[in-house]
Amino acid sequence: MSTTSDIKRGVVIKFKEEPYLVTEFQHVNPGKGSAFVRTKLKNIKTGKVFENTYKSGETIEVLKVVKKKMQYLYKEGNAYCFMDMRNYEQTAVDDDLMLGKGAYLKEGQEAIILTLDDSPVGVEIPPKITLKVVESPPAVKGDTASGNVTKEITLENGLKIRAPLFIKEGDEVVVSTDMGEYVERA
Amino acid sequence: MTDKRHILEKRFELLKLVREFFWSKNFIEVETPTIVASPGMEPNLVPFETIAIDGRGEKYNAGLITSPEYAMKKLLAAGFKNIFQICKCFRNSEPFSGLHNPEFTMVEWYRVRSDYTDIMRDTEELFNFLHKQIYYQISKRSKVKDQGSRIIIYQGKNIDISPPWERISVCEAFKKYAGIDLEKNLDKKSLREKAKKRGCTINENDSFFDIFFKIFLTEIEQKLGQNKPTFIYDYPIEMAALSRQKKSDKRFAERFELYIAGLEIANAYSELTDANEQLKRLRTEAKERKELGKTIFPIDKEFVRAVGKMPPSAGIALGLDRLFMILLDINDINDIIPFPAKDLFKK
Repeated sequence: MSTTSDIKRGVVIKFKEEPYLVTEFQHVNPGKGSAFVRTKLKNIKTGKVFENTYKSGETIEVLKVVKKKMQYLYKEGNAYCFMDMRNYEQTAVDDDLMLGKGAYLKEGQEAIILTLDDSPVGVEIPPKITLKVVESPPAVKGDTASGNVTKEITLENGLKIRAPLFIKEGDEVVVSTDMGEYVERA
Repeated sequence: MTDKRHILEKRFELLKLVREFFWSKNFIEVETPTIVASPGMEPNLVPFETIAIDGRGEKYNAGLITSPEYAMKKLLAAGFKNIFQICKCFRNSEPFSGLHNPEFTMVEWYRVRSDYTDIMRDTEELFNFLHKQIYYQISKRSKVKDQGSRIIIYQGKNIDISPPWERISVCEAFKKYAGIDLEKNLDKKSLREKAKKRGCTINENDSFFDIFFKIFLTEIEQKLGQNKPTFIYDYPIEMAALSRQKKSDKRFAERFELYIAGLEIANAYSELTDANEQLKRLRTEAKERKELGKTIFPIDKEFVRAVGKMPPSAGIALGLDRLFMILLDINDINDIIPFPAKDLFKK
């Protein structure tokens, strides 16, 4: 049996007899009584969002999801489309199931699609992704004096991040998909 | 680090301003020990533990304070009047998250011959003073004329900080946000039924506090302090901690917490001055710690005596890191702390 320590973003749990995706969670410790885990849960079938608070250590039922390796194709409306390269089957994942990971994808990127009873419930992508810089304005005089030694750059998939001043257009940079931060020049 | 320098400069400026505020009100800044024999008995806090060794190699179990409350009350008992302290407090086993750091900066102040309503006014004044000073500096640089605005923007939300702030009792909040009449449901059994009806996941062995917090954390906390900062006051007597019973209604204790934008900023009491009652509560807490398998620290007898000796007072512990986050519109505590734990202990 699983407990609240297994609660993470992207985990699917059983709540009120239905599968719910954990979209947010937070540990809270009021000092008196127990510690708690506050969660935001999204019903996978209906899309309805619930909040629930668990006591730390309580047992919960984590549902087993099936993982499939796929390739990212394109975004259509609110959905991200992926293809299973073995059988060319396509799957669309709703933006709110992506938990912000959509911003890092570029065409051809490999991703793991999580499914429950054949419906997609989430996506796993590598912790670091390499992307090409398409826009990198030259450093503005005065930037360094203010202690601000980064600038905003735009990457090939439209993602904007802050990077050191020496990054030029055409460079490839490694981005952490956890924090959305610049890691290093590739 | 260089990215952060700007924010840290403002943090250090704010620290100076907090001191100036209390000095201007004739509070005395005090210091008390960080490493103590009894670091705090709250059932669910996990103090950092260490060993003190004297010159002869004699060893003593010790811990880092979770708040300077015990020692500051000893100073009140010794005759100090209005006092404040800015110090580091330590709590282990907390997540390295955007809202927590295992060591954090607290300002704690006490007023003699006062109750918790005086502390509410102090808090409003302190916040408005800090805001005015910081805003004045910015407007001086950018030559903005309007310096009278009392609206702050936190993460895109407008919050009116002009006093008086919202004051809502715990019972009123339960009614307003969860539709539960807490006054009529102050026992475990009936609150459990109400919580179940609201859709909370309740276990048979959940205590009154567990049920209280499952409702509070799910339905109430995040709605507090959204348009104005909120003082939520008068907690059920079982949650009195170190506060005194309300004279007009013995089921409640004179305690409040401050919330701004759903974030808990401070905890305050009309202080308990009954040594016997204090001893009783500490023994209950020690028992609860034992049941939870937590370290039991010796009861600080000098503190218990001090509670009986100190004048009627009120006091508050206010987390400065979180207060500065609100003032500077920052949503991650790690951005406002030099060298946060999440970077120090990265694997």
